[in-house]
Amino acid sequence: MGLPEVFAVGMVVALCALLMAGYPVALTLGGTALAFAAVGHLAGVMDLWLLAALPPRVFGVMTNDVLVAIPLFVFMGVMLERSRVAEDLLETIGRLFGTLTGGLAIAVVIVGVLLAAAKGIVGATVVTMGLIVLPAMLRHGYDRRLAAGTVAATATLAQIFPPATVLVLLGDQMANAWQAAQLAKGNFSPQPVTVSDLFAGAIVPAFALVALYLVFLIAVALVWPKTSPAIPPDPAALRGLALARRLVEALVAPLLLILAVLGSILGGLATPTESASIGAVGAVLLAARRAARARFDELLRPVLARTAHITSMIFLILIGATLFSLVFRGLGGDDMVHRALSGLPGGTVGAVLAVMVAMFLLGFVMDAFEIIFVVVPIVAPELLTMPGVDPVWLGVMMAMNLQTSYLTPPFGPTLFYLRGVAPPEITTAHLYAGIIPFVAIQLVALIVLWFVPGLATWLPHRLYGEP
Amino acid sequence: MSVHDRLTAAANRIDRLTAAIGRAVAWCVVAMAAVQFLVVIMRYALGLGSIWLQETIIYAHAALFMLAAAWTLAADAHVRVDIIYAGASRRKKALVDLLGALVLLIPFMLTLAALSIPYVARSWAILERSRETSGLPAVFLLKTLIPAFAILLAVQGIAQAMRAVTVLASREPR
Repeated sequence: MGLPEVFAVGMVVALCALLMAGYPVALTLGGTALAFAAVGHLAGVMDLWLLAALPPRVFGVMTNDVLVAIPLFVFMGVMLERSRVAEDLLETIGRLFGTLTGGLAIAVVIVGVLLAAAKGIVGATVVTMGLIVLPAMLRHGYDRRLAAGTVAATATLAQIFPPATVLVLLGDQMANAWQAAQLAKGNFSPQPVTVSDLFAGAIVPAFALVALYLVFLIAVALVWPKTSPAIPPDPAALRGLALARRLVEALVAPLLLILAVLGSILGGLATPTESASIGAVGAVLLAARRAARARFDELLRPVLARTAHITSMIFLILIGATLFSLVFRGLGGDDMVHRALSGLPGGTVGAVLAVMVAMFLLGFVMDAFEIIFVVVPIVAPELLTMPGVDPVWLGVMMAMNLQTSYLTPPFGPTLFYLRGVAPPEITTAHLYAGIIPFVAIQLVALIVLWFVPGLATWLPHRLYGEP
Repeated sequence: MSVHDRLTAAANRIDRLTAAIGRAVAWCVVAMAAVQFLVVIMRYALGLGSIWLQETIIYAHAALFMLAAAWTLAADAHVRVDIIYAGASRRKKALVDLLGALVLLIPFMLTLAALSIPYVARSWAILERSRETSGLPAVFLLKTLIPAFAILLAVQGIAQAMRAVTVLASREPR
C-alpha cells in the first residue's frame, strides 16, 4: 500500500470516528474530505486541482432529472401523513381480521404494506405506525415483544416497496455504475438501467418478504395463541354490508393513488418523476378532503416545511459525498477497492458477499442515503463488470440488505425511531427480542434472493426486456 | 447588552434570514408538482412537450434544496449519527456543534464558495443559456445557486457556533 492509499484508508477511518461525534453527516463527509485533501497536498500525494471538479459536480446534482422525483415523493408521503389514511385503514382492516386469533397482527402487516407503497419514507411510516398501530395492539392484549417487532419490521418495508426514496437513489447510482462498467468492457451503447427497472425488480422480493412475515405471524398465533388474542366482537360494530362500505371507502383512496403512481411507472407510461407529480396531486386532494374546514395554506405550510427539510437533508448528503468521493478517488482509493474486490477468494461470490457484509455493518452507523452515495459509486462499477452480476438484482439485494440492517439491534435506526414514539410500557428489551425473528426472516429472504436472482429480474425483464 | 445577549441576538437574526429564504423556496415544491402534472397532462392528453417547462421544474428543484439547506441546519433537520450525541449533555452537544461548525462546515462551504466563484463568473461572462434552443436562458442564475448555497450555510454555521459558545460560556451545572 503506497502513501496515497494510506491516506485514503485513513480518511475512511477518520470519517467513521468523526461521525460518531454526532455532527451532521453531510458536513462531516465534506469537512473530513477537505482536511484530508489539504494534508494530502502537503504530503505531495493529492493534486488539489482535482477539487476544481467540485462545482460542476454539484451542478450535476442540481440538474439530475432522475433526482427531481425525490422532493415530489417526499411531499406525497408527508402529505399523506396528514390525511389520516393510516388511521382509517387500520380501523377497518383491523375490524375485518381482528376477531381471528392473530388477526390484528395480519391487519397491521397489510396496513404497513399499503402505507409503504403510498409513502416511501421510513421515518414517516415508523412514526405513524408507532403512534397509531402499536398502542392498538397493546390495548388488545398482544404480547409486547410480538407487537413491537411486528410494527418495526412492517414500517421498515417502506425502504423496499416502490416508490421508496432509497430505490430512486439506488437506481440513479446503479445507472451510472452500469454505464461505467459497460464502457470498461468495451460496450459503448449499453441498454440503460433505470429507476423503473429497480422499482419493478423490488416488487416480487418485497411481496415474498411480506408473505414470510405473514407465515411467521400465523405460526405464532397457532402455537402461542395467548400472544395474539382475538378481539372480542363488538356488538355495536358495523358488519356485513355497512362494514364492506367502510372498507371500500378506506381502501379506495390509497389504492387508487398506489395504482396511479406504480401502475403508470411499471406500465411504462410515465417516468418516476411524472408519476410522483400525479401522486403529489392525489395526496393533496386526499388531505384536502379531510381538512375541508381548515384553510388550505394552514394544511400546506407544515407539509412544505418538512418536505423542504427532508429534501435538503438528502441532497446535502449527496453534495458532501460528492466531495468525499472526489478526494477518495484523487488518493487512488477506488483503484485500491477495485484491486481488493477482484483479489478476493471466491471471485464474484466473494466480492459481492464482502460488499454486502460491509454495507450491512455500515448500516449500523450510517443512514441508507450516505451508504448509497459513498459506497455504491465506489464498489458497484467493479461488481458489475464481474460475470453473472445483474444490475437490477444487485440493486434490489442492496436495498433489502440496507433494510435488514435498518432493523437489526442494537443500532438499527428503525428501532431508535420506534423507541422515540412507542408507549412507555415497551422497553428496549421488548423491542430487541421482538425484532429478532423478523431479522432472521430478512436474512432468509436475502439468501433466497441470492440463489434465485430471477425473483428480482423476472418482472423488469418481462416489462422492459432483457438488458 | 452582555456578550451573551449580543451573540444570541446575532444568531437569531441569521436564523430569521435563513428561515425566511427557506420558507419562500419551500413553495418550489408546489410549483414542481403543479408544473410536472401539467407537463404530464400536456404530453398524454395533447401530445405536446415543452423543454421550457421541463427546465422550470429543474430550476425549482435546485432552488429548493440549495436555498433551504441553511434553514434545515437551523431546524436541526440534517441527519446526525446520534448513538452518542442523543444522550450527551447540553454542553457536550454544544462542543460538538462548535467544533463541527468551525472545523467541518465553514471550511467546506468557504472552499465550495471559492471554487465556484470562477466557475460561475465564466457562466455570467457569456450569460450562459440552456443547451436546448427552446430551453431557459438563465443557466448562469442556476449556477449562482452554488455560491449562494455555500455562503448561506457558512453564515448559518456561524450562528450555530455562536449559540454553542453561549451554552458553553454559561455557568450551568455540567
